[in-house]
Amino acid sequence: MIYYLLLPVLLLMLVIAQIAVLDIFTLGWISMEISLIVVIYAGFHLDALRGGILSLVLGFFLDCLTSAIFGLYQFLYCLIFFLSMVVAGRVYAGNPALIAAFTALCTILEGLVIVLLYRFLFGADILAALLRIFIPQALVLALLSPLVFRFFDRFEGLLHAEDTRPARRV
Amino acid sequence: MLIPRKYQSIAVAAVLLIVSLTILSYSAVRLSETGFLRKVVLEMAAPIERAINISLQGLHDVWKRYLFLVGLEEENRQLRRESALREERLNQYREGYLEGMRLRGLLALREGFPYRTVAARVIDSDRSSLFKTLLINKGTSDGLRVGLAVLSAQGVVGRIIETSWHASRVLLMIDENSNIDALIQRSRAQGILQGAGAAGGNLKYISRTEEVLPGDVVLSSGLSGVFPKGLLLGTVTAVSRKEGGLFQKIDVAPAVDFGKLEEVLAVITEAGPGR
Repeated sequence: MIYYLLLPVLLLMLVIAQIAVLDIFTLGWISMEISLIVVIYAGFHLDALRGGILSLVLGFFLDCLTSAIFGLYQFLYCLIFFLSMVVAGRVYAGNPALIAAFTALCTILEGLVIVLLYRFLFGADILAALLRIFIPQALVLALLSPLVFRFFDRFEGLLHAEDTRPARRV
Repeated sequence: MLIPRKYQSIAVAAVLLIVSLTILSYSAVRLSETGFLRKVVLEMAAPIERAINISLQGLHDVWKRYLFLVGLEEENRQLRRESALREERLNQYREGYLEGMRLRGLLALREGFPYRTVAARVIDSDRSSLFKTLLINKGTSDGLRVGLAVLSAQGVVGRIIETSWHASRVLLMIDENSNIDALIQRSRAQGILQGAGAAGGNLKYISRTEEVLPGDVVLSSGLSGVFPKGLLLGTVTAVSRKEGGLFQKIDVAPAVDFGKLEEVLAVITEAGPGR
């Protein structure tokens, strides 16, 4: 229950930090979308319900605080989360190179979906943005993702360190 | 549960994707409206974003101030360097001016003088030892020789006692070994001015009958041929007549300040006597 209570607060903080602080380091050139790595991490480590809600809430906050069409990031993050879940069942999630490659792939996929949606919904041609924004962003996030994954692993380890209850029999 | 465990993930995925797609489709159609939840999130996020931005702006200002101060420090260092350079240059000009003034004084002395003179720079001064001497930067190659008189703009300095090709040593008139034929300007009484070290000099062999007063000017008499006649030696500072003695005891303060001598003139007479 605590998970569902704390989740919105933490995710809102993450999105605000991402928008207000991290963009300063890249001088607005690319977006440091740590939230995307969080969604991928959730796809690798959480069950469908928890991860799905996390992705939806995270997408919701991002939709609220950016000028995107409302629902765009909710849809994108849900899509990427379930894609990550599917991939997590088939590969070893501890390999940093694989994490980096998958993150880059998801970033480009996100860019492609945005380009296509804008094309179909508004007739806007923003294909150039894919090369100018999403490919550099994919490279940056690919480099960052193993570090973020390691950080979340440690964080998760700390959370469960005091849980001394015996494992439930399934 | 209605849905088998095996299909639960797929079911959740399907529901969430459908929900998000529905929201997206709805928003795409009604772009202008801001939903209630969105307003709530914006309301919540705005103060936090504002606080973060204020903090970041503060940090930015501190950073800018730091950069400004770094620039200021560099500028300050540069200005200090320039100031030191200017001070040095100003000092050189000041020295040059003062040297010019001194040389002008020497030149004035030279112009009214019937003898050939050689200007020389004082390169060493030895007034603390037994012999009170100066070293000047001109020697026999400039025409100097032992016995020549040496003057400054203020008066007599002494005479040359040693020479090499490019340097000469001058025995100061205050040295105990220095004896110069002198006369008192006012009374024309003649005597010999003997050096007395730091005390200056004593004018000897002046008869008790001669009237000598403190402040009387003492000049060279020109008798021995070393010092031309009429050069300023000093002024009388004290006179005493002891009972039973033949001569007066006259103290003379030299006209030249030997501590501040920098340039001198050596007077080249036709046939100066030896040491």
